[in-house]
Amino acid sequence: MEQHIHPEPKAFIWKYVFSIDHKVIARQFLWTGLMFLALGGTLAMMIRWQWAYPKTAVPVIGQLFLSQTGGAITPPTYTSIFTMHGLIMIFWAITPILIGAFGNFCIPLMIGARDMAFPKLNMYSFWAFFISAILVILSFTSQLGAASAGWTTYPPLSTNVGAPGWGQTYMALAIFVTGVSTIMGGINYIVTVIRYRAPGMTWFRMPLTVWGLWLTAILNVLFVPVLGSAALLLALDRLAGTHFFVAGAAVGIQGGDPMLFQHLFWIFGHPEVYILILPVWGIVGDILSFFARKPAFWYKGSVFAMIAVTVLSAVVYGHHMYQTGMAPLLGLGFEMLTLAISVPAVVLFVNWLNTIWKGSLRLEVPMLFALGMVFVFGAGGLTGLLLGTISTDIYLHDTMYVVGHFHLTMAAASFLGSFSALYFWFPKMYGKQMDQNMGKVHFWGSVVFITLVFGGQLVAGYSGQHRRLFDPYQYKYIAHLAPLNRWTSYAAFALGITQLIFVVNFIKSILMGKKAEQNPWQVSTLEWTHCASPPVYHNFDIVPTVVRGAHEFADPAVKKKFGRDYLDQVEPGLGAVGEESSDAMPEPEAIGAE
Amino acid sequence: MTARRLLRAVTGLATSAGAVLTASIAAAAPQPETGYGLPRDVSADGHRIDWLMGVTNIITGVLFLIMLGWILYAAIGHNAKRHVAVHDHGTSRRSIFIVLGISGSIFFVVDGNLFFNSTTDIEEVFHNFEKVEHDPTTIRVEINAHQWAWDTRIAGPDGKFNTKDDIVSLNDLRIPVDTPVIFEVASTDVLHAFNLPNFRAKVDAVPGQINRFWVQGKTVGEYEIGCAQHCGTNHYKMKGEITVLSKEDYARWADEASKNSARLFDENDKDAHWGWDWKGN
Repeated sequence: MEQHIHPEPKAFIWKYVFSIDHKVIARQFLWTGLMFLALGGTLAMMIRWQWAYPKTAVPVIGQLFLSQTGGAITPPTYTSIFTMHGLIMIFWAITPILIGAFGNFCIPLMIGARDMAFPKLNMYSFWAFFISAILVILSFTSQLGAASAGWTTYPPLSTNVGAPGWGQTYMALAIFVTGVSTIMGGINYIVTVIRYRAPGMTWFRMPLTVWGLWLTAILNVLFVPVLGSAALLLALDRLAGTHFFVAGAAVGIQGGDPMLFQHLFWIFGHPEVYILILPVWGIVGDILSFFARKPAFWYKGSVFAMIAVTVLSAVVYGHHMYQTGMAPLLGLGFEMLTLAISVPAVVLFVNWLNTIWKGSLRLEVPMLFALGMVFVFGAGGLTGLLLGTISTDIYLHDTMYVVGHFHLTMAAASFLGSFSALYFWFPKMYGKQMDQNMGKVHFWGSVVFITLVFGGQLVAGYSGQHRRLFDPYQYKYIAHLAPLNRWTSYAAFALGITQLIFVVNFIKSILMGKKAEQNPWQVSTLEWTHCASPPVYHNFDIVPTVVRGAHEFADPAVKKKFGRDYLDQVEPGLGAVGEESSDAMPEPEAIGAE
Repeated sequence: MTARRLLRAVTGLATSAGAVLTASIAAAAPQPETGYGLPRDVSADGHRIDWLMGVTNIITGVLFLIMLGWILYAAIGHNAKRHVAVHDHGTSRRSIFIVLGISGSIFFVVDGNLFFNSTTDIEEVFHNFEKVEHDPTTIRVEINAHQWAWDTRIAGPDGKFNTKDDIVSLNDLRIPVDTPVIFEVASTDVLHAFNLPNFRAKVDAVPGQINRFWVQGKTVGEYEIGCAQHCGTNHYKMKGEITVLSKEDYARWADEASKNSARLFDENDKDAHWGWDWKGN
């Protein structure tokens, strides 16, 4: 596709506020996402405080926001806290950081495009997201408290029957609006990847990062509308007195069906967990190869595995509903499909392990976070087996075991993956270097405490503690878990404090970090080899022509000729000077891929 | 006047009889659990779930350690300081065979074991209502959940629900030992989940829908009922007790309680007649 170079806007408002530049929009998403990550994290600390020291005043935060109770959390406040924690982390922290920020930043740069296919749509996507963020804040300020029906927003609790007041309504609307934002972004990503790849950038030469983000965009465009319709119907139930999801005594015989919402929610909700993890899979796949200085192991296998997971993710959602009275045969079908996902997931996982095996590992900060992600994702994936199986799920469903499992896969893995990406692309985003030592402390603190927090939750859940309890120790079979919960909380507080190191490092590096080189990590993708740090407004003065994949490392012949261990995606390499490029393409079947 | 006095006397007598019985049970009030791991299993079939979880945990534990060892070995042994990377795209037949082999083995061994045992247990035991419905000793219980308590109803001697002799109580359920008990569960207001951790049993209570499950207690004692599904502000307080009585104690108690209910039955109290015709198979 012919791409024109447009003049860069000069006025502040067009350059930094209502910008159509994907790199600026990426940073807008990043900052908003990081702020919501801090908010969601603070809410998590409050939950942990309640479990460590039930009904006692929360230090600092309690005095600021819960002065009416002297700083202590009450049961209604508690329900709002865990509800808002979940919703904020998923829709306003991980989604904008991974998809909004890195999707926007990486896709055009890595495929050799001058911007997104629809730059204005991109801007609307951010500002729609911004409106949804305002609705979230409004929810906190509403008179009867913020949304309180759990992040899954199950009716009838989420209708006026169980959650009167504007807090829940604002959140239903916020979910709808952020869905609009996500769909606009998703369409943009899909079209950009299909239409705006640089000459020679074939599908199987794309970095895994782009694959992950592209597949995520497809899932978003297919399934976020389902969530949007559920949120809209819920808003109608709340505002217009309809009865889509209300049943039982509240409406008499002419009721709707609360199960309908669960189906709509999980048709979206299960793809959603892959929406949040596919970009990380892609990013980590690339970063492991880049820092192991070794080609990504069976690149095509990883791509097909990600495609298989994308397809399967659409047909497994029923495993969230085994205990809802689902027909046994239907449950069996969902169970079989759920277990089948382990095949591509293991392929991907073994490919990562093989990528680092016999490499030449540079344990820089992005690599550490990527390895940490592999570790927590492995733990999370293994614990998921018992939840996908119907009989064992009878006992484990709705326990803290589920909480530990999905936090390891969805939260911890996305979190570590996001930071891997942030440390990796920060020099390109801001043209500055981040402090590597502070980054390493941030990594070790994060990975150790994350493991302890979510490991503690797994143990508590396995011992029978179920979810969302204001005071779990009311139960005699849970009371003895109080010390475990308290230690888990200590780990959580330590995890929270560790993040302050990142905050300092991030702000310090932006303000007075050392200037970054064009390609500080010595890697092969276009944004590093053909863009300045930070890139110019139109990214590429001349759009490069790509000749190979992104993972050409460790070829001894290249080392002999160029004195370095990699070839970028554009340079002619060994073939151009008359040598046979058999070393660069060792396997006949890999020609398409590499 | 005399009728009412008589009723009061009888009620008092029944209450004191109940109190005596309750006191004898109180000696066995729900025992706290100790240590980490599964709570005591007091059901006839919970061991099936426990076994499957245990076996899977051992296998996944080994896989976890292999993964951890692999990452650590690569990070240290294949560090840039001491190892030169090999040039391998992992696209040889052998490489692909290894990847697919590992993936396939895990699928067939771990997932296969889970699927096979779960399906067998579900079909033969946990969802096998056919067998239990035909067992003449089976006790039938209806549970109506509402914010934030469990209404329980056991069919009386007539075997029908919503009749005078139903045994009705709140948050206090008693069942005989070594006898199948089928539960039909519904909700009046929002979603709840009827959770019996010591019996490895759980099902959602959904307004406008009747869900069911069955258990069989094997150990006499008192255990807790929890609500596992977020149901509002006092979700954490929505707990009840389930008491497993010896068959003789249960028969005595059920007889007494049923007669009590019949005496206190009020035709006009519509709210009290929340029971439904047994759904059965």
